Amino acid sequence: MKKTTKSLWVSPWGYAESFLISFGLILIGFLLEFTMPNRIPLRIIYPLNLVLGIGFVILIGLFYIFLRKGQLFKFLSGIPASIGALTALTLLVMLMGISPQVPMVEKNIITAFKLNNLTSSWPFLFINLYFLLILGLVILRKLIKFKKHNWGFICSHLGLWIIIFAVGLGAGDLQRLRMDLHENKTEWKAYDDKDNYYEMPLAIRLNHFQIDEFHPKLAVVENSSGKLYEASKPSMIMIEKDLQCKLHRWTVKVDEFYASSGRSGDQYYHLFDYGAAPAAFVNVLTPASDTISGWISCGSFNRPHESLKLDKDYSLLMTVPEPRKFSSEVTIYLPDGSKSNQTLEVNKSYTVNGWKIYQLSYDEKMGKYSDLSIVEVVKDPWQIFVYIGVFLMMIGSVYMFWQGNKLKNRKIMANI
Amino acid sequence: MIWNYFLVTASVSTASWGIAALVHKKEWLRNSFVLIGILSMALFIGFLWVQLERPPLRTLGETRLWYAFFLPIIGFITYWRWRYNWMLYYSLILSLLFLLINYMHPENFSKTLMPALQSPWFVPHVVVYMFAYAFLAASSLVAIRGLYLLYKNKLTSKVMLMADNLVYLGFAFLTLGLLFGALWAKEAWGHYWTWDPKETWAFITWMGYLIYIHFRYQQASKLKASLWILALAFVVLLVCWFGVNYLPSAQFSVHTYSQAP
Repeated sequence: MKKTTKSLWVSPWGYAESFLISFGLILIGFLLEFTMPNRIPLRIIYPLNLVLGIGFVILIGLFYIFLRKGQLFKFLSGIPASIGALTALTLLVMLMGISPQVPMVEKNIITAFKLNNLTSSWPFLFINLYFLLILGLVILRKLIKFKKHNWGFICSHLGLWIIIFAVGLGAGDLQRLRMDLHENKTEWKAYDDKDNYYEMPLAIRLNHFQIDEFHPKLAVVENSSGKLYEASKPSMIMIEKDLQCKLHRWTVKVDEFYASSGRSGDQYYHLFDYGAAPAAFVNVLTPASDTISGWISCGSFNRPHESLKLDKDYSLLMTVPEPRKFSSEVTIYLPDGSKSNQTLEVNKSYTVNGWKIYQLSYDEKMGKYSDLSIVEVVKDPWQIFVYIGVFLMMIGSVYMFWQGNKLKNRKIMANI
Repeated sequence: MIWNYFLVTASVSTASWGIAALVHKKEWLRNSFVLIGILSMALFIGFLWVQLERPPLRTLGETRLWYAFFLPIIGFITYWRWRYNWMLYYSLILSLLFLLINYMHPENFSKTLMPALQSPWFVPHVVVYMFAYAFLAASSLVAIRGLYLLYKNKLTSKVMLMADNLVYLGFAFLTLGLLFGALWAKEAWGHYWTWDPKETWAFITWMGYLIYIHFRYQQASKLKASLWILALAFVVLLVCWFGVNYLPSAQFSVHTYSQAP
């Protein structure tokens, strides 16, 4: 290709103009962020978001109808504009990938430009709108001059457009609340992350909360700081009865293990009781060939934990068991008088009356004796549109896998 | 009893794939042996399903069994469509690796897996990503070779077309992996996307290859720039894969599975 010496902003526009526009948008966004701090978070809810959305679509349509012969349309629906927008968005997201996205109280350079919360910043909004405009025009052009072999192209591009459009507009309508369920009590109030309470169009009674736990693990900690000692890997080994293992420089043998036990005198016994904790009797062979033995236990909310001192610097202890699975058996009551019994579990949500109920958490201090189950209730009326977009993009991906660069081959051949 | 059947299955699959590699010159014979290996795995999974009276998707060991089953299938489809022999062998070796891990750690059929990971989406999400990374890694090797050939003035369009095809296939898998992850997150936590550092970098990776694809589409003659974009995209992919844990933003990630005591 011959190198052109075209001045800026003389049509046809190319890469230089594309990059200037995209990065210009980001720059304007950051300036706006810097000069207008402390603004109230913008939340566009139904029906305003629907009106704005339809307006945006009409705008793209009008743009096409009246300006499709112009240079601006050619530029915006062309590849240089796409690449400029993609690159600008990528660099913005890279900032997001480096700077932690967490709330910060103190004022500094990061908060001044909202680098800690980029997804709700002006530059992010601007570049996404620009991106949606470009992508919309590209789709419209291909859709109106439809050719059979373009269906994969349209699936992937339209899918992406629908996803960004629906997620963006739907963000204001998305309600994410929590409910604290106590065993044998019925709850119909939910709260948001600012502790505002809402009355729900449903009530949930927690009949039983159940946790299955993994066995606890053996670990060595520093006596002075209580920190995990990690001189060699693995630094934690799951306890089994009769386990024999090497933990750093000590050889540990587990002679006895009770998943549920209580202490009486100088010994632990297998028993089931409110607050009963795991315990193990271990034999440790030190590097100096001494044998140390004793009981260790991770304790529970009402039992002390017990570790075994290995030397003046280190101790052997049992970690608090991790949950394998936790679930809530609930009865859900609806305003029309109907009720149903369900089991809520992580990865197994339940949908009722437009609300999706997720098992979220429990009282972690109480561990398996928790009678509190925290569930998340989410209402996302735009979800179906996002799923349509995802589905279209999946079809587009399978098409891409099947075709590879075949289409392009044809194009290159045609150009030769 | 289940364990003995596992040993039979693993031996049948290993043996038939070993034979497949030996008779690679007779294509139909080789393919038959590959399929026998896959079939034996399918039978074992079916058997396990009936025996356990639940889908065998609960533990890490069972998950690895699904990897070992799906990897050669996707590898075979890819080979069948694109005649990449290396991809077939890559998938078979990975699959055998998973069988070997299951053989070495029988107790792992019950080892810790945090509740959020115990999902039917786990296997497709990870398997598809493994393929994406393999294709994209291969495309970068081609890119490096391309840069060398360019320097020597020997670059042919054939090399570029190979790089393109690898990127297209890898990108298709990458997109599917991303979408599976989003659907899973919605099912498990109620959001598609939380801009978790790993997700953020996965998105950047995706964008990197998207830029390459669009740039190649329009500027097919600018080989040097294309090759550099491809090489850079792979650097981003490596950041996403290994590097994320070392970034200041990583302390808040759900994708770093390290556990505090």
